[in-house]
Amino acid sequence: MNDFSDLEAQLKAIRPAPLRESFIGRVESEINQPEMPLEEPHNVIRPIQFRTGWIVGLGLAAAAAVLLLVRVNFQPPRGSARTAAASAQPTATSAPLPAKTLPNSFVPAGSTQVVYHKRDEGLLFAQNSEEPMRRLRSITRETLQWKNPATGASLSVSYPSEHVELVPISAQ
Amino acid sequence: MENVATHEDWKVCLSEVGPGLVLFARQWVQSLADAEDIVQEAFVRFWRRNHNITNRALLYATVRSIALDRIRGDSRRARREALVVADTEQSVEPQFQVEDDSQRVVVGALDRLPKDQREVLVMKIWNELTFAEIAEALGISQNTAASRYRYALASLRKILPPQ
Repeated sequence: MNDFSDLEAQLKAIRPAPLRESFIGRVESEINQPEMPLEEPHNVIRPIQFRTGWIVGLGLAAAAAVLLLVRVNFQPPRGSARTAAASAQPTATSAPLPAKTLPNSFVPAGSTQVVYHKRDEGLLFAQNSEEPMRRLRSITRETLQWKNPATGASLSVSYPSEHVELVPISAQ
Repeated sequence: MENVATHEDWKVCLSEVGPGLVLFARQWVQSLADAEDIVQEAFVRFWRRNHNITNRALLYATVRSIALDRIRGDSRRARREALVVADTEQSVEPQFQVEDDSQRVVVGALDRLPKDQREVLVMKIWNELTFAEIAEALGISQNTAASRYRYALASLRKILPPQ
């Protein structure tokens, strides 16, 4: 029990305005229309990041190509030969030399993904979907890092990204 | 999937939930016509997929989603129009069937409630949703829905003159 019962009764006594006949007629004509094949809902707005996503992709591809070139150029042929020759001769003292065994190339050192904004944009019916879905949009910054253990050089690529997830309601 | 609903089924459903849905949609748009458009889109979409309205929380969530999408899309246009409308006499279609002055005062007080409280109040009083359904539709906890409802009633009591 609460002490708002009188107020609740007062509110319930007020009735919402009735539906207009023109409105019912509009709904009727739309329901009677054959259902058109679903197109992408007009209320789904493609973020500009998706429209220009190919630019980011191209940039990443270029960065990967540069990395490959750098790796090839950093391979010293003499050092490799010397290491091979040394390993062919058995030695009594097998103390390893870390500097010589480290690969002189860039290797992946880590990646981070920082989600700095996440938003629940509510329910919608996605394309060709019978079930409603919840749209979750997250804006992140991803950073990929490479390091050259031999030289200590490091390289990192950081770029913003935006993800849109459509989660079926039944899966929640 | 074949739509097995008869012609009269949807009319019965619409007559039951329509007035409350339009009232619910009016919270986000100024004109009755816009609210009707929102409800029409949600109801038709919902009916074609579900053929019934048993999942009321989802129906209200759909109305809310369409209304909020419309607000985002129309925000620029609305700002421009608001400047024009502000200079003219605005005739807003009534949201309620007001029978006397005391009801008119209550309706006036409703407009002064914070949006999140009014939203829950409209769903509870005029659409008779449970707190569980309200919570599901709004994506909040049942406790939050119940709290907002109580705050709304308390606010109304403060606004309304003592009887």
